[in-house]
Amino acid sequence: MDVQKHSVHTLVFRSLKRTHDMFVSDHAKSVALDEERNPSEGGVHSMALALPPSQARHDTSRTGASVSDIHRHAGGAERSHAHSTSLMEGGGTRNSALTRKAPTMPKPQWHPPWKLFRVISGHLGWVRSIAVEPGNQWFVTGSADRTIKIWDLASGKLKLSLTGHISTVRGVAVSSRSPYLFSCGEDKQVKCWDLEYNKVIRHYHGHLSAVYDLDLHPTIDVLVTCSRDATARVWDIRTKANVHTLTGHTNTVATVRCQAAEPQIITGSHDSTIRLWDLIAGKTRVTLTNHKKSVRTLVLHPRQYTFASGSADNIKQWMFPDGNFIQNLSGHNAIINTLAVNSDGVLVSGADNGTIHMWDWRTGYNFQRIHAAVQPGSLDSESGIFACLFDHSESRLITAEADKTIKVYKEDDTATEESHPINWKPEILKRKRF
Amino acid sequence: MGRRKKTSNALAVQVDAEGKIKYDAIARQGQGKDKVVFSKYTDLLPKEVLNEDTPELQKPDEEAVKELTEKTRLALEKQVSQKIAAAMPVRAADKQAPAQYIRYTPSQQGVAFNSGAKQRVIRMVEMQKDPMEPPRFKINKKIPRGPPSPPAPVMHSPSRKMTVKEQQEWKIPPCISNWKNAKGYTIPLDKRLAADGRGLQTVHINENFAKLAEALYIADRKAREAVEMRAQVEKKMAQKEKEKKEEKLRELAQMARDRRAGIKSHGDKGDEARERDEIRHDRRKERQHDRNISRAAPDKRSKLQRDQERDISELIALGMPNPRSSSEAQYDQRLFNQNKGMDSGFAGGEDETYNVYDQPFRSGRDMASNIYRPSKNIDKDAYADDLDTIMRTSRFAPGKEFSGADHGQRRDGPVQFEEDPFGLDKFLEEAKQHGASKRPSTSSRSKDDYHDKKRRKE
Repeated sequence: MDVQKHSVHTLVFRSLKRTHDMFVSDHAKSVALDEERNPSEGGVHSMALALPPSQARHDTSRTGASVSDIHRHAGGAERSHAHSTSLMEGGGTRNSALTRKAPTMPKPQWHPPWKLFRVISGHLGWVRSIAVEPGNQWFVTGSADRTIKIWDLASGKLKLSLTGHISTVRGVAVSSRSPYLFSCGEDKQVKCWDLEYNKVIRHYHGHLSAVYDLDLHPTIDVLVTCSRDATARVWDIRTKANVHTLTGHTNTVATVRCQAAEPQIITGSHDSTIRLWDLIAGKTRVTLTNHKKSVRTLVLHPRQYTFASGSADNIKQWMFPDGNFIQNLSGHNAIINTLAVNSDGVLVSGADNGTIHMWDWRTGYNFQRIHAAVQPGSLDSESGIFACLFDHSESRLITAEADKTIKVYKEDDTATEESHPINWKPEILKRKRF
Repeated sequence: MGRRKKTSNALAVQVDAEGKIKYDAIARQGQGKDKVVFSKYTDLLPKEVLNEDTPELQKPDEEAVKELTEKTRLALEKQVSQKIAAAMPVRAADKQAPAQYIRYTPSQQGVAFNSGAKQRVIRMVEMQKDPMEPPRFKINKKIPRGPPSPPAPVMHSPSRKMTVKEQQEWKIPPCISNWKNAKGYTIPLDKRLAADGRGLQTVHINENFAKLAEALYIADRKAREAVEMRAQVEKKMAQKEKEKKEEKLRELAQMARDRRAGIKSHGDKGDEARERDEIRHDRRKERQHDRNISRAAPDKRSKLQRDQERDISELIALGMPNPRSSSEAQYDQRLFNQNKGMDSGFAGGEDETYNVYDQPFRSGRDMASNIYRPSKNIDKDAYADDLDTIMRTSRFAPGKEFSGADHGQRRDGPVQFEEDPFGLDKFLEEAKQHGASKRPSTSSRSKDDYHDKKRRKE
């Protein structure tokens, strides 16, 4: 981690702020507002602009910096935003009719660290995708050696190998409504396997190029696949008909997710946009252009109405149904291939260089970084994570890696809050431009 | 009012509730007014970290979800059925919905319209669809795609500018193959070897090489020393030997000298005897000497013999005078007794004369003897004396002969052909005589005519 270089006044200011937060802040008391500034713009300006140097020096010269000044200039963006909106509502009266929310930084929830506990090898090529069976007995992996392997979850032993694809298997999904396994590959094929007979029973024909990802709708018998031909296609499972072709992206659609609530389909693409689709009409509802680099992965929170997207520049969290931007999770400076989220609020991001970062979903605090060693016999450069997934009990994290292994992680039971303390240093001045 | 409005695609400036200009109308041009488009700066700023229980973060309740699911499912089913309608079997025609009645109040009222009535009742019936009807419209025509929806505003800062240093870091040198050179470029040697990675690896030499070299050097030196020493010792030995030999020789010489001088300690022969012995010894020695010389150089001739065999030009070169002294002028004998006199040579300009040779190649006296004449004894030479017996052998006569073989007599001369063996000429003559009663013609004449004709043809 690089030490960020700050100017002297920034450091002094921050230490003052910390002291104030710890000892002085009276949350019940309201704060006097500066009337001269335009209330709605004021918050915006304080966020956008750097701390005006003259003001800062002025502040530090006065030993007893007033609380109001600190509050005014400590432009935590989230506070000012709420600030400005509440001001607008209140009509800008001076008095304490507006009680602001306490300007505390929320403390991240403590999560036990995760450690590697099993390495499963058996594939002869990169392991590209994972899916876990609804009953949590076994999981499926698709690999670059064109096979699909079914492994027992508890023991890690191979149960079955399925062949049929003629190129890398990029996506697998197990249906919870019928005994089907769906797989898609770089050979433009989307196959439906009947698990009672272990045979392919259906092909969904229509994609013009490699199919990168697929997802099943939780309540309707519909399959959505996304491909390198910049489209996502909605298929009726039973009739194999291509119900909708979702066009609009201008580059490979790398990831697709389905949910029962609106918007029902979310896609992320290499043109760095995310689109939220209306499944009934087959049209885009919202386009999110916040990312700067290709969006390679999406994940929907299991209990909240939010989702996260991962790209090489940042991981961003968004709200449904309109895709309002919540926050950035920055720190994982690598090409993020996969995201997975837990009901406890643990977000896992796996990157192309083999590193895994564990985040607290709510605050965006990165509490752990793992870089597992490669399988003996592999080069060090052959470390990369292509897919990661929590099993249905949410206690095991399964990752599909580039050194042809599947690694299973579990929480470290011996760790406590004291042994692995939270080291939370939030950015006070959000001077970064997004 | 009166002026015709020229159509332009400029948007009218719109103002929102607070009086601020809505600049995002540009981004919302072709879309419905309730479409979600993020265009404000605040949209890309992170929000406050919310507590988990806030209502904004909660998923919609199950009923809403179920409703949505149902709606979606029906819509999708309709789509699917349309798509696979062609594959479905022909069924009996669907029963249409019952007729609808609509009460319609036309806008134009009056006595003339609608025969005075104020309202009309219209019965709406769905038209029957023929179940066997093939599709009415061709849908295989390819038409270009319509314009896409307007692009969404970009919600991030533009990418950072590339510095020259960073661009240089990513520079990839062109590939210079060690095998192919399609365009036949001439590439300097340092560029050809650039990709080899020669400078990247440090060469590790095992230290045992140095040890080996040292050991060899030491061994070499030691060997040289040993050889030198040995040589020196040998030289010393040889010198000693030589000295010894010299001593011996000196002694012998001394002895001989003493003996010659006559100082002898033993054996007096007498003076005269001694003298005679000495003379004999000397003469023997001389004879031996001469014999040796003659044996050694037998080619050595006496001076006189040498001079006699010299060529005249050599004698001239050596300056020795002519051995024969004759006053007459001497002529080359080849010049005498020749045929040609004054008129030899040109022959008067005649071209046709064949005068390349003036003498026959070989005179006749030689030719007779050179012509091959077989002698009577040739057979004897070839076959020895057995010629008669050989001729009479019946070794090569076949024991059995072919049936019908002609016992031809031995021929002495060329083959004699029989005149008319099969009697064809006679037959032809008879035929002519019999057939040619109209034109009688003698056989001889016809023959003559035939021969004449033949001759004329030739």
